[in-house]
Amino acid sequence: MIGGLFIYNHKGEVLISRVYRDDIGRNAVDAFRVNVIHARQQVRSPVTNIARTSFFHVKRSNIWLAAVTKQNVNAAMVFEFLYKMCDVMTSYFGKISEENIKNNFVLIYELLDEILDFGYPQNSETGALKTFITQQGIKSQTKEEQSQITSQVTGQIGWRREGIKYRRNELFLDVLESVNLLMSPQGQVLSAHVSGRVVMKSYLSGMPECKFGMNDKIVIEKQGKGTADESAKSGKQSIAIDDCTFHQCVRLSKFESERSISFIPPDGEYELMRYRTTKDIILPFRVIPLVREVGRTKLEVKVVIKSNFKPSLLAQKIEVRIPTPLNTSGVQVICMKGKAKYKASENAIVWKIKRMAGMKESQISAEIELLPTNDKKKWARPPISMNFEVPFAPSGLKVRYLKVFEPKLNYSDHDVIKWVRYIGRSGIYETRC
Amino acid sequence: MPYSGSEEIVKELRRSLCNPNVQADRLRCRNVVLRVIRYMSQGLDVSGLFMEMVKAGATLDIVQKKLVYLYMCTYAALKPNLALLAINTLRKDCTDPNPMVRGLALRSMCSFRMPGISEYIQQPVLNGLRDKASYVRRAAVLGCAKMQTLQGDTEIDGAVVNELYAMLRDPDPIVMVNCLRALEEILKHEGGVVINKPIAHHLLNRMKDLDHWGQSEVLAYLVRYKTRTEDEVFTILNVLDGFLKSSQPNVVMATTKLFLLLSEDFPHVQIDILERVKGPLLAICTSECHELCFLGLCHAREILRSSPGHFSGHYKKFFCMYSEPNYIKYQKMEILRELVNDENVQQILEELQTYCTDVSVELAQMAILNIGRIARTYSERCLVILKGLLGLKQEHITSAVIQTFHDLVWLCPQCTANVCQALPGCEENIQDSEGKQALIWLLGMHGEQVPNAPYILEEFVDSVKMETSAAVKMELITAMVRLFLSRPAECQDVLGRLLYYVIEEELDMAVRDRGLLYYRLLQQGIEEVKRVVCGPKSDPSLDVISGQANEAVSAWSKGFNTLIPIYGREQWDRLTAQKGDSLEILQGSAVKANEIDTKPEQREEMSRDSGSVSLLTSAHLSPEQFEERWTLLEAAKVVTVDWHKDSCPDAIQTAFQFVHIQLVAISRAGVQPWKAYLFAKNETGSLFLIELLTVKGKRDMQITVKQANSNEQLLNNFIAIVKSVIQTLGETKG
Repeated sequence: MIGGLFIYNHKGEVLISRVYRDDIGRNAVDAFRVNVIHARQQVRSPVTNIARTSFFHVKRSNIWLAAVTKQNVNAAMVFEFLYKMCDVMTSYFGKISEENIKNNFVLIYELLDEILDFGYPQNSETGALKTFITQQGIKSQTKEEQSQITSQVTGQIGWRREGIKYRRNELFLDVLESVNLLMSPQGQVLSAHVSGRVVMKSYLSGMPECKFGMNDKIVIEKQGKGTADESAKSGKQSIAIDDCTFHQCVRLSKFESERSISFIPPDGEYELMRYRTTKDIILPFRVIPLVREVGRTKLEVKVVIKSNFKPSLLAQKIEVRIPTPLNTSGVQVICMKGKAKYKASENAIVWKIKRMAGMKESQISAEIELLPTNDKKKWARPPISMNFEVPFAPSGLKVRYLKVFEPKLNYSDHDVIKWVRYIGRSGIYETRC
Repeated sequence: MPYSGSEEIVKELRRSLCNPNVQADRLRCRNVVLRVIRYMSQGLDVSGLFMEMVKAGATLDIVQKKLVYLYMCTYAALKPNLALLAINTLRKDCTDPNPMVRGLALRSMCSFRMPGISEYIQQPVLNGLRDKASYVRRAAVLGCAKMQTLQGDTEIDGAVVNELYAMLRDPDPIVMVNCLRALEEILKHEGGVVINKPIAHHLLNRMKDLDHWGQSEVLAYLVRYKTRTEDEVFTILNVLDGFLKSSQPNVVMATTKLFLLLSEDFPHVQIDILERVKGPLLAICTSECHELCFLGLCHAREILRSSPGHFSGHYKKFFCMYSEPNYIKYQKMEILRELVNDENVQQILEELQTYCTDVSVELAQMAILNIGRIARTYSERCLVILKGLLGLKQEHITSAVIQTFHDLVWLCPQCTANVCQALPGCEENIQDSEGKQALIWLLGMHGEQVPNAPYILEEFVDSVKMETSAAVKMELITAMVRLFLSRPAECQDVLGRLLYYVIEEELDMAVRDRGLLYYRLLQQGIEEVKRVVCGPKSDPSLDVISGQANEAVSAWSKGFNTLIPIYGREQWDRLTAQKGDSLEILQGSAVKANEIDTKPEQREEMSRDSGSVSLLTSAHLSPEQFEERWTLLEAAKVVTVDWHKDSCPDAIQTAFQFVHIQLVAISRAGVQPWKAYLFAKNETGSLFLIELLTVKGKRDMQITVKQANSNEQLLNNFIAIVKSVIQTLGETKG
């Protein structure tokens, strides 16, 4: 259980402090500031023990969130809780920043009050919480609203309330993936994985039953048993999912037995599933670095990037970051496409390209002049990192169907407007040079 | 600085709260309350507004109610009399038709930290347990636990316990989990909540209704259940199987722990479980959240303790990303070193090699030490890499490599010749004392294989005057004597010079003694020296060289999914064994920041002293009460201490507050006779009253102590504290 929760700004000033248990005193707040936030060296561990009190912290931009406990707790739970807290706060007021926290501190106290009681996590589902939180203040509740709360409070399905009505039944489905890559200078993939999320926004009336299908290898193979080469004929490729996890609403037993994903969706936005793949990843970009040291005062860098997807698709927001040594005195850059700039404060050449079609190639060359130093230390050559956004799923995941059944209300699957979108982003996408 | 000018702020807020215009306007009123809470969270003492805030709580506005309740929870302990006034409002709210108001009131009422309150909350809590809204029941169940902690050691109410056990069948899943939590707290002294067969099976059936917080906690409680038969074990394993692949890391970890403990008698099942959990655990280890990733890695290391090659096939998952924080990189490197086998050794070594040139000195050294560990099995390959690193001529790298050699030669004597070739030339690139020690040791021990060893050591001897580290000097003496035995002709002169310097000029006693020891030993003749210095190097029966055998799963399974894997077993044992009130230690570390002019050592000493008497941090006594007691009691002891300086009230107050002695009244500086009145309470309820008195012309201070319940031992300890504080104050300014 959690004894207390503190939120600090980057200077170590307390923005929020909520103590749940008597064994955590006010001095714990100071102890964390002195020992962790103001500590001279880098953070040694996300869990710090000061005087037999454990401090678990996460950092979001320059805000520190710390959970404090004296018990021997389940650390994964505490961190999960802190992440959840961040999620909930983001869903209420957007980015977690000092400004936002100060403006919403009443709301945060309210949230902390509802989510944790005596240090034990209670209901933390954003949708369900909305009924308890009165940030705007309720003047006088109508009868309907009151009964709604009661049904929410006593209801069996924690994530959806009864009696939701929409004039237009709509569904938005986003497949969001982030590709992570670590490549050796020779172009050998050292490690690569995609972690993806299927995020859904549902505006559906009543208590609909949904069924979601994708090109999961196991399902396709199972179906393909009868007509063996059907899947090959249709040209659809299936993907092997390493592991996947679902929102609480998905019936896990059905997934285990039939691999089918069926659920009653929460209202509004939520994350239906999270998955990871490591096989047959489409790497949207290849980075080919060439670094040559010319004497002690000059470096020649040439970097080629190749886009590796259908020519009809466009990648966006491409940014290549080429690190430069600390003693760089001047840089001359020539690039065929986009804009490149040497940013001395970041010790890197940042090359930005707005758009780039598939199967293209672009190149940048730079001459870096170095100040002669007597420092014998060799330059460590940090990897070249890349950011981008592509309109497809690098794992190859495809949504095959999403069916909606609502037996009680009279709308059918055809009446629901559905939108599907794929976005692939770079996670940690590094090539060593 | 929020701590200054607090009185004006409080006054101003009080004015606003009492203003009838503000009270009439809901929004303005709420804004004032908001400001009070804002100051409260910044650490300003706004407890003086309690009365006004209680009034503000009697409103229909739920937001304001919530805020006021929050305020009351914080300050109720300080104002017990006033808090009682609030109880009535709260009790009324407990019967409100709106379940939200009922739940809120109940929860807040139970969170008041004041002793006498339990009689007022008992009835509302019991009513709450039978409320039709689950929201209220949730609060009521935890309310029972809060009540128990408030009452302290009083007897457990059997009826409540029975009721809570019955409520495990409540339809609301959160109520059920809260029942478990409450029972656990209430029955803490009896070993916590009992999980018998019906309860265990009930919990198993309810698992899928729970949210993941509940799931992970129920899994932790199930660990306690003792299965009767083999069939039962396998039934549970089957029922819970799905949770092993849950989306929530905490559930995965909790399930793993439960499974490992359940299958303690079936080693093959345990192996199977570890195999099945590999995927989810790897997913946690490669998670984008650094903290979770760190946890995963810590737990992966636990698994590696009993099956070293467990993740060998997935070694690439443990390669470090450039942007990861160092704490993850350290863990990954240590895991990588465990995963080495014939197939992947080349790749892992190449990977570790790239870390050796990292900008972070610590990371680079760690990488080198890890290569050194792998060298114990794959010495040839590793030595090539390590020798290559020497070529970079960087101080921190060379030092780490030499230290690695030092360990390696000791554990794998077969590499000695190879290592010795690399030694010449290193001395130019070593600056830190650990590196120097390692190099000197190597040269002394294996000097016969390094042609210019005597000349390298000679350089060290020549600069011995500049050397600051005693350890390096001692190492140098030993090394010189060793080398003298194998190469007497080249060393005699240097050794003589060294011993002369050490015995005649050295200031460090330990170094001088070491020098004298060898000098006298040398007087005994060369045979004797050889017998002592070159005796058998280690006892073969001690068996340092062979690595530790694989541990049984049960060695770590009990600590799995707790803090033990994160802190490490040794540190955890140290933490739990520590004596002394941790509060004091906390305070000690916190006060260091707000530096007051006393020295830190003295400060710690003072806080330790107060530990034995264990004075309460927040005791309360009004000046009137103090006066009444003071006149009532006899002086228990009068002592005088030296004091010859002006008294500074602020310094005295802070110093005494630090040892939890509170000030009641004090004269201004310079007033004669100067007086101060202080008091303190300890855990057992003893009360001490103190008077400090200085009279003009006299160079001492008279301390009079009165004690409520006389206890000689306690009194003496207490007086010792007071005296030490006064003396410290006298020294610092005197």
